[in-house]
Amino acid sequence: MYIIRLSLPVLFIVASLIYAIMIFQLQPAMLGEPNAPRYFPLIICTGILIFSIVDLINMRKENIRQNEDLEMLSRKSTLKVVGIVLGFCLVYTLIFEHLGFLISTILFLGALLFYLNGLKHWILNLSVTIITAFTTWYTFSFLLEISLP
Amino acid sequence: MDFSIIIDGLYTALQPINLMWLVIGAILGTIVGILPGLGPATGIAVLIPLTFGMEPISALILMAAIYYGALFGGSRSSILINTPGDGSSIAATFDGYPMTKKGQAGQAMSIAAIASLIGGVMAIFGFIFLAIPLAQFALNFGPAEYVMLFIFALSAVVALSMGNIAKGFLTMFIGLGISTIGVDLQSGVHRFTLDVPHLTDGIDFIVIIIGIYALGEVLYNMFNINKAKKPDQNIGSKWFTKEQWKKSLAPILRSGPIGFFLGILPGSGGTISSLLAYSTQKQIAKNKEEYGKGAVEGLVAPESANSSAAVGSMIPMLTMAIPGSGATAVMLGALIMIGIQPGPLLFENSPDLVWTLINSMFIGNIILVIINIAMVGMLVKVLHTPPKVLYPLVLVLSFLGAYTLGYSTVDFYILILAGVLGLLLRVLNYPVVPLILALIVGNDMEQNFMRATVIYDGPVSILFASPITIGLALLTILSLSYPLIIKLLGRRKKKDHPMTM
Repeated sequence: MYIIRLSLPVLFIVASLIYAIMIFQLQPAMLGEPNAPRYFPLIICTGILIFSIVDLINMRKENIRQNEDLEMLSRKSTLKVVGIVLGFCLVYTLIFEHLGFLISTILFLGALLFYLNGLKHWILNLSVTIITAFTTWYTFSFLLEISLP
Repeated sequence: MDFSIIIDGLYTALQPINLMWLVIGAILGTIVGILPGLGPATGIAVLIPLTFGMEPISALILMAAIYYGALFGGSRSSILINTPGDGSSIAATFDGYPMTKKGQAGQAMSIAAIASLIGGVMAIFGFIFLAIPLAQFALNFGPAEYVMLFIFALSAVVALSMGNIAKGFLTMFIGLGISTIGVDLQSGVHRFTLDVPHLTDGIDFIVIIIGIYALGEVLYNMFNINKAKKPDQNIGSKWFTKEQWKKSLAPILRSGPIGFFLGILPGSGGTISSLLAYSTQKQIAKNKEEYGKGAVEGLVAPESANSSAAVGSMIPMLTMAIPGSGATAVMLGALIMIGIQPGPLLFENSPDLVWTLINSMFIGNIILVIINIAMVGMLVKVLHTPPKVLYPLVLVLSFLGAYTLGYSTVDFYILILAGVLGLLLRVLNYPVVPLILALIVGNDMEQNFMRATVIYDGPVSILFASPITIGLALLTILSLSYPLIIKLLGRRKKKDHPMTM
């Protein structure tokens, strides 16, 4: 639980440090003040760093055991479901342009439905997958004239 | 006021194509609002691709209809299964669900719909009288005034994340940080693009919004996916009684203006408006003990305020391009994408568009009451949609929406990252609205800041550039000290009445 609670302020501190390095690596402007592209990001970077540290300090005052959502997310079963759903999303991202919208969506939606809704409801899962994939493909490709891979 | 523009607006709103989009938006919004976990922001975000290729006015009508349709729908799930569709429907659970337990679900839903209608109509009149003068006033704004306006809006949003000020500032700076990705418009320097060509134009904030609201929401709902509640089919009579109406009228009329004025403030939105309307109503009520046990006044007050706040939150969005809530933030992004540039000039250059929207809001509210009362049985059935089927569908629509924005799977990675961020922000109680608002105004804020520093010879002079900037600076200080004042007043109250604690 503490690791998850710590994750965001620590992540933001690391992000602000990387952001700072990138700010100093920026090309100077060719016109006007050479450092102009750095000013605004520098203010932001300082803000992220200061408030991440304040948040980290404030964490001591928080009773994280009272946070039901955090307690739920810390459970292995929840982490597993969230992780698997995110895994499916990542695979969908990787196959989308290679297999095209129709096949990748059938695989993605089918996998999600069979995983979440169970094998027992296979007729519902299959029909929802096929109807949704074809309907959205037809709507976007022909009615809205949006080209999908 | 030129009344011919109003009549022209009404004529355009009544065009069959616009009426069709209005009805479709109202139905889709109601359905999205009813489904637990899906609020108006998510609804508009995942349905954005529908507006592609549409006439700008039809797109605006559709999005506005989805917005207030989702607000109408949000209270249905609060009343029927004690599960609010989003934050603004929380207050409807307090007395709405107890009415359902008493067998008055139908009456609760119909009177809540009427309360929303009256609240919405009151706010439309407020919109007419306030939006145009505000837009005319905003025409006086130069770069310095805009910088101060953005600072005020951001500080107000942060201040309203009560108890989480540091977290509010943190998410605000994160949003501003994301907005700096891409080519700097003043110097042409590529910033933080990691040599990815797709990032040259920056990150489309709608992808982040879809990620945080839709993907983040789906991931959050995975926690309780096996514990979905189902409503009772027996909703009792769907017509409220004369006595219920008598009790409701005054709270409805009182709460509408509360919601409207709070709705105009950036970040306050429907949640604060409805909760404040509920607590105000309870404080002045003679029958306080009945609140929380099915008092009809406790249901109609937040419903009227919520609907009013929705219209109010469109004022800063349309007049100054500053969204007042998550849903209007999504709308703003979508409007820019389809070629409508909100801001003071919108009222100067496209009064027809503004008046058509106002008229369509009026017609839309009436259509929504009809939908919500006549189709109550069908709407209850929507709640039977299994979440295990619904959430995968939302995921597909989210990815599809993200793809159609930039035709690149790079946006899918951003979407997934934003979804994880949205989940963590929600679980760890970080306010999301400051991030979204900062992300939207970040680029304009930087450009105006750089221009103003050149015009006024340094950043400090911006503060004293004009009476408007001084006024906005004072408002910023006031909004930031608001939580401190509330805290001090709370301590004083505790000291004065120690026994009541």
